[in-house]
Amino acid sequence: MILDPKRAWIRQWLTLVAVLLVWEAAGRAGMLNPLFAPSPSQIIGALVELFTSGSIWTHLEATFGAALGGLALGILVGVVLGVIAALIPYIAELLQPVMTLLNAIPRVVLAPLFAIWFGIGISSKVALAFILVAVLIFFTVYTGILHVDKRLVERITTLGGGRWALIRYVYLPSVASWVLSNMKVAVGFAFTGAVVGEFVAASRGLGYLLSFAQSTYNSALMLALVMLIMAVVLVIFYLSGRLEKRLMRWN
Amino acid sequence: MRLRDISISYGGGEPVLEGASLEVPAGKFVSLVGPSGSGKSSLLRAAIGLQKPLAGNVEIEFGRAEVGILFQDDALLPWKTARENVALGLTFHGVKREQALREADAALAKMGLQGFENRYPRHISGGQRKRVAIAQVLALKPKLLFMDEPFASLDAIVRARVVQDVVQLVEREGISVLLVTHDLGEAISLSDTIYLLSQGPRAHIIQKYDVPIPRPRSLISARAHPAYGPLYQKLWSDLSLEVTGKVAEAAE
Repeated sequence: MILDPKRAWIRQWLTLVAVLLVWEAAGRAGMLNPLFAPSPSQIIGALVELFTSGSIWTHLEATFGAALGGLALGILVGVVLGVIAALIPYIAELLQPVMTLLNAIPRVVLAPLFAIWFGIGISSKVALAFILVAVLIFFTVYTGILHVDKRLVERITTLGGGRWALIRYVYLPSVASWVLSNMKVAVGFAFTGAVVGEFVAASRGLGYLLSFAQSTYNSALMLALVMLIMAVVLVIFYLSGRLEKRLMRWN
Repeated sequence: MRLRDISISYGGGEPVLEGASLEVPAGKFVSLVGPSGSGKSSLLRAAIGLQKPLAGNVEIEFGRAEVGILFQDDALLPWKTARENVALGLTFHGVKREQALREADAALAKMGLQGFENRYPRHISGGQRKRVAIAQVLALKPKLLFMDEPFASLDAIVRARVVQDVVQLVEREGISVLLVTHDLGEAISLSDTIYLLSQGPRAHIIQKYDVPIPRPRSLISARAHPAYGPLYQKLWSDLSLEVTGKVAEAAE
């Protein structure tokens, strides 16, 4: 059978709808225990309830605040440290082993430590999102600058451009393009940091709600939150994809 | 432009080049040919100032702004449009951005790229990118042009057209040129003088040939000229002798 790739989305949606219908029917027939596997209508009900009661907004605000704060700080610090390390070998010697170590471990293990250091407020979540993003961006920028296209550097030099021209026309655009191409991963990391941080210790946020749902055996709420987080990240992926496309239209 | 007794070594090892001297008289087209690894590109890089020679000196009677350089790679900034790439060198030499863009458009038009000014390098063909790179250098109105195998990456038909355009521009503007190439036919059709480098290491200039083909030239007319065939044969046998002689020497 030959499948038309252009119609893949139709097949994907139809299959999803079929799975959901079977799942719903099995739930209604009493074949699934709602404590472990609530039906799709119960999950959607929990999601609608979160929005109609208005209780979700404070949690969304907390998670978004922590993720975006950590993302912005992580990019800023990652770029600055990456540039400094690439330019000053002594700094690279100091930073590289630390960053390699931080890169090697699952950095979310730092969440309990950050909760002690920065409290259960937003700071500890920003810190976790930050450390996840900063290490990624540091390596992107540091290795990127070391491997910058030498032909471009030579070209600008032979055309009469000085150090400033090299930074402005070669290094900065190169760094911007590497950071942009890693943006989707960075966004994912930032939300992971925020949600895991909230999961460990918090008084609000999607991670806190997840932890609450778990402690009350509320599977419908848990699955509703997972769906919500997926939706949020997909929207941000879409927006960063648009931004990347716009800023890298030369590619 | 004169290179006197240039020696070049990498990392303090045996010199790749030793005592190489050549001259590019004003308004003349000079080519440098030689076996692979003879240090042709190293000599050109020494002339440009990208490679510090072990010994010898480089005399250039022009200012930095009057020297244009064209390598094999296009090396255009991928995030800048064709006209922005061409305007770049002009702005480095103090031309205002608006004026630089106007001059860039004119330089692109000279290379037959009208209508492609706002395209990015990734959105044009290899031949067009090469033309943009040439326009970038010619927009600076150089008096002296260094070229290192600039046409090597192009396919035969595009190459012939680009080379022809460059010949016309160089003749019209009276630019002095030093071209490094491994293509003997190209060297003869373009040059007034050809220098042959010996096989490296310790390569040096072993022969100088004057090309008695009158200007203005076209690639076709140059190849049809009676002097072309004998000169090609002479160059080819000298080059072959150099390569096979050294190989035999090494075998002994």
